[in-house]
Parts: sequence; structure tokens; C-alpha cells
Amino acid sequence: MADFAFLSVVELARLLRQKKASATELATYFLDRLERLGPRFNAVVTITRERALAEAAQADGEIRQGKWRSPLHGIPYGVKDLLATKDYPTSWGAEPYRQQKFEFDATVIERLGAAGAVLVAKLAMVELAGGMGYNQANASFTGPGKTPWNPNYWSGGSSSGPGAAVAAGLVPFAIGSETSGSILTPAAYCGVTGLRPTYGLVSRHGAMALAWTMDKLGPLGRSAEDCGIVLFHMAGKDPKDPSSVDRDLKGMADPPTKRYRIGIPKGADKDIQAEVAANFRAALKVLEDRIEVVEDVELPDLPYGAVAGLIIAAEGASAFDDLLKDGRLSRLTAPEDRTGGYPALAVSAPDYLRALRVRRPMQRALDDFLKKFDALAVPTRTTVANPIDKPFRDGWPGVTGGANVIGPTNVVGVPGISVPNGFGVQNLPTGLSFTARAFDEGKLLTLARLYQSRTDWHTRRPPID
Amino acid sequence: MEISRRGFAEQLALIAAAPWFLEGLKPVQQQQTQEPSALAKALAEGVRLRYPDRFSAEDLTAITRSIDSRLRQIERLYQTPLTNADEPDFVYSVYRGAD
Repeated sequence: MADFAFLSVVELARLLRQKKASATELATYFLDRLERLGPRFNAVVTITRERALAEAAQADGEIRQGKWRSPLHGIPYGVKDLLATKDYPTSWGAEPYRQQKFEFDATVIERLGAAGAVLVAKLAMVELAGGMGYNQANASFTGPGKTPWNPNYWSGGSSSGPGAAVAAGLVPFAIGSETSGSILTPAAYCGVTGLRPTYGLVSRHGAMALAWTMDKLGPLGRSAEDCGIVLFHMAGKDPKDPSSVDRDLKGMADPPTKRYRIGIPKGADKDIQAEVAANFRAALKVLEDRIEVVEDVELPDLPYGAVAGLIIAAEGASAFDDLLKDGRLSRLTAPEDRTGGYPALAVSAPDYLRALRVRRPMQRALDDFLKKFDALAVPTRTTVANPIDKPFRDGWPGVTGGANVIGPTNVVGVPGISVPNGFGVQNLPTGLSFTARAFDEGKLLTLARLYQSRTDWHTRRPPID
Repeated sequence: MEISRRGFAEQLALIAAAPWFLEGLKPVQQQQTQEPSALAKALAEGVRLRYPDRFSAEDLTAITRSIDSRLRQIERLYQTPLTNADEPDFVYSVYRGAD
């Protein structure tokens, strides 16, 4: 039987073009794999077999007639189960919403469908995208997400299913969401590529809201090239999402000879796991002829954490006020999530508005800082994945360093990408992140592609088959 | 590694924002032993009064500590200078439907 599991979107599209595989063959292959291996990693909520086979049959019909919609035509994919999907439940990873149904598709699913992609699964996630403050891996009715590299360790959150499913070859790519770390973290812990787009570049219509002013949707895939293709087909203005914007993604790529100025935040590789630090430096070495490194740069000293904390607390408590009011929070899986939303009831309106007012000068200050560089580079996480049987705080004791870039850059909504850059403790994957100014996705993708053209970490397979 | 008071407050805030900001959690464990402020206790009592039959003593302790942490974060928000003209980063648009 053909081995499609770890082929990239580009490679699968080539097989379809050359008539060496059909969309139905691909869909069936990945549906079977999702059924067989999905439970091992707690990666899947619902397999959308009927819809997938119908979409694949339609794709095959069009391809036979020579009608190619896009490079995604006939390519299977999965979505985090917070995207509304007609005819299938959309659980938000949470027991109280396990049977929830919507009569429409999220805009992202509509757009990927219009590009010819074939939806094969709704993928697992941390309940309510982690908005209630979970502090250990078992925080979903599907159980703790497990990284395919070692199922005793977490796949990361809150896009736990998309990370694990891509890493295990259950789908060629998946759509995740990030409010503050939920794409980049599973990308790093699962050894895949994850792209967090600029806030507003991708419509949030039909996506569960955790924090309206911070939620972003983005792809996880086998390579930066794949993530770029997917982003191109899901981005753009949507009248159903007033925060969405139009940007010309075609013109964003840099010339291939460009030398990039890369800022390394102070402390980025200090007091973190030794292997993570070594892999980070080795990655910079791989790029040394194309980058100019500026060490020990310091982000503007502003209260990023306070702003993020208040915004997520207040917007999350409002987004889930029905759960708070009727007490259904008590049905969540993680004990700490059952009370985690109530403290936000004590956030005052003036304090929330203060956070939103502080965010505006914060955006300007961070943009002024980021414009000095083509990108910042950091290890995506300071450790490899946490063990699933311990609270996060006890997972890797003694690791106290690193530079926090995920938090500040999520508060202001700028893009980031994580690519696999090696292995660390327990042979678990590590990640390298680049972060840039708003709408500089092209720059991030070019840098990540350059790195992946010189390394093979993104092609490694976990020991599962 | 030593951590400044400001850094400590920032870590607390980040942990409240998203649980994967967990590097250097030791200061937070120290925080568990501090007595929550009177304001935190009063605000937690307000939460309890909203839902009088819902929480155990353990739940209320967790809620009080979380409120206390957030109150510490809020102090930093007011250290960032703003003027009356600094608006929140959202824009309200007036609506007029089709005639």
C-alpha cells in the first residue's frame, strides 16, 4: 500500500497532478489512519468520513475534467474542534459542549473547501482553548494530548490534536488557534511547523471565542512551505469578521539573496534545558551566512503579562458567561478549570479598559522595536514537552530562564512561526521560533523555508508505525 | 536564579494569562504561602455571594488567591502613563441599516 502519511502538501499535490493518486484514495488513507492511530494520541474528536468522501469524490470529478482549484485541491486536512462545521458536532474540547452543532461552516473551512481541500477530522483540543487556566495535560474530555514522539509526554496546548495529528501523519496539515501560545507550543512539542498569523489576517468567524481581541487561527503542517500555501488560501477580509483585514500575501516574499537581521532577546538561551539551548545555537549556525545576529536585545519594558492576563480573563469570562452563570463549568475535565473562570468576575470594567488603553502604546513601542530587525529568534519553548502525569510546574523543575516572546507578541497580535530544530531530553523535539512585525508572514516563511532547505528535522518521523 | 519584584509580578501575570508560561514557577509557589489582601478576600466574597451554594472552602481559597494575583498585576497597568486622549484599542462604529 502507498505510504502517503508523511508527504507534504506539495508532494501530495504532485501525486494528484500526475494521476498517481486520487483524492478519494488520499481521503480513505488518512481516514483509516485517523481511526487506527488517533486514539493512541488522544488526537481526534470526530472523523468526518461522509463529508470527506463526498468532497474527495467531487475533487476527483473536477480534476478528471482538468479543473484545478488550487494546490490544496484533493488534499485532506483536519481542524481543531473549535471551528463550526455543518452536520458534525463542534465540542470546543469541553464536556458541556460535546453535542453542540452549528448549521454553518466557519469561514476558514469555507475557504479551504473552496480551494478544494478535503475535511477529514475535527481534532482534539484543551477544553475552551485553555481559557479557564488549566495547569496539567489532562484538560479535555478526550484525555491528555500525547506527542507521537513519546506518548508519556504532552502534545502541547491548546491545539493539542492538530499538533499530534500532523506529527503522526494522520493529516497532511491542520488548522489550530492561538490566543497566547496555542499553535507554537504544540508545533514545538510535536516536531512540526506552526504558523501564527497576524491578528485579523484570518477570519475568526465560526471559531470559538476565548478572547476576541487576541484569538488567531493558523496552520500546522510538515513545512513552512505547506503552511504558506494553507495561509494563502485561508487569509483575507471577511464581512462576517469585522476585525479581519485584506493583505496581498503574494508580494510578501523577500529576494532569495537577502541577508536577515535577527535579534536575539536577552536571556533567550540562558537557564533553559541544555539541549534546547544547544539546538537553538546550532540552528543560528546553519543560517550564519544569511543572517546578521544582534545579541541581547531587550523588548520595551511594558506590562505585557498584566495586559494579557486582564484581557483574556475579562473577555473569556464574558465569552463563557453562560457557563459561569449556570454552573456548567463544574463539568469540565480539569479540576482547576471548574473554578478557573470565577476570579474574572472580580475584574472591574475600568481595569479591563485600562488594559486595552495600555495596549495601544504597547503596540507602537513593540512595532518600533521590531522594525529594527527582520525577525526575533528564540527557542520556541524552554524545555521539551511536559510529562502528561505531572502538573506543568513539576514537569521540568529547575528551568527558570528563557526570554518570553510568545506572551508580548500575542498581546499585540504580531505573527510567529515555529520550526523543528532537533531533539532534546527523552528524544523529544525542540523548536526554533521567528517573530516579526505585523503582516510580515512572508519574511517569517522565507526564513523558515531557508532553514528547512538546509536541515531535515522537519522530515523526521516519530516511531509509531 | 534571582528574580526582581517586578519580574515576579510579571510572571504571575503571564501564568494567569496562559498556563504554558510556567518557566521559573518557584516564585509562584512562594506566593501560595502569602496571605491574600483584604481586597482580594472581599472580592472573592462577592463571587461567593453571586453563587452561594456553588463553592467548597478549597474552591474559595483558589478563587481568592487568583484574585489576589490579578490585583498585583493591575498595579503595573497604572504605572504606564496614559493621557485622557489615550483610547482603548477598539473602535466603535455607528450602524445604519439599509433604507
